[in-house]
Amino acid sequence: MKGDDRHLEQELDRLFAAYRDACEAPEAGPDFLPRLWARIEAAPSWPERFWKWANGLALAAAAASVMLVVYQVSTQPRADFYSATYVETLMAQTEAELAPVELAGVAVEPPAEQPQQ
Amino acid sequence: MLVEFDIVERAQAGDAQAFNQIVHAYRRRIFGTVSRLIGRPEDVEDVAQEVFIRLYYSLDQLRSPEVFEPWLYRLTVNAALDHLRKRRKRKLESRVSDLSEQQVMMADAAAGSKAEVDEKERARIRELVDSLLSGVSEEDRLLLTLKEVEGLSLKDLEKIYGVNENALKVRLFRARQRVLRAYAARRGDEPRKGQDDEG
Repeated sequence: MKGDDRHLEQELDRLFAAYRDACEAPEAGPDFLPRLWARIEAAPSWPERFWKWANGLALAAAAASVMLVVYQVSTQPRADFYSATYVETLMAQTEAELAPVELAGVAVEPPAEQPQQ
Repeated sequence: MLVEFDIVERAQAGDAQAFNQIVHAYRRRIFGTVSRLIGRPEDVEDVAQEVFIRLYYSLDQLRSPEVFEPWLYRLTVNAALDHLRKRRKRKLESRVSDLSEQQVMMADAAAGSKAEVDEKERARIRELVDSLLSGVSEEDRLLLTLKEVEGLSLKDLEKIYGVNENALKVRLFRARQRVLRAYAARRGDEPRKGQDDEG
């Protein structure tokens, strides 16, 4: 069994060696260097990449702010004074002031009006 | 080193002529390594260009010219790895087109003369080893290829990967065992195939 394993290992080594020979490196084309320089020059430089990245970040931050404002406005309950008129608000306040006052469980009723004679 | 240290230093300083000298000196070696790492001749030039582009943009990060070669190997391994990942993605997307491309290559290699027979044999070996290596991860495939096919030592690999020798040994052993098992399974099929061919 061990002999078999060793044999297999040797075969694999030979196969790897044959693979090395079988993978002949192709020759570089005559325009290899000009194409390489063209690609190098076409690639954005670091400052360009940084500005692109910074712009993207600023845009994302602005979009997030707008979305946050829209969300807050849409979820905030609407205050009464926006819908009520001045008179209605004044009436509501006066009614609250005229409400019967409760002192230690004893309700103090406002004096009953005397029928006019 | 295929170039003098001062050429590397000049290239680091932005000397285009010195960079061209580096490309000329290492082009052949990079082409060979890339070819064996990715196993696809038609993509070798593109990946080699990618290696040199990465070299150009990261030359200023090289601390000393002494480590230039392992560092260039690392760039090569990374570019090959990226290429293999992209290829795997593409392969998943269109297995059929890849298969037909292979069939065309096989058919091209199938005609008569001695050179063509040799090419057919080389294509068979490439296909066999590629399929054996496809059973391990891309990272392990590259590691195994660098060790077994490129013939790099563990010391070289240690410098390239920045990982200690023992960790590399364990990884290599596991990857090799997996390939060996796949080879044994495949070899079990071969006599039958041979008989079929004869019959």
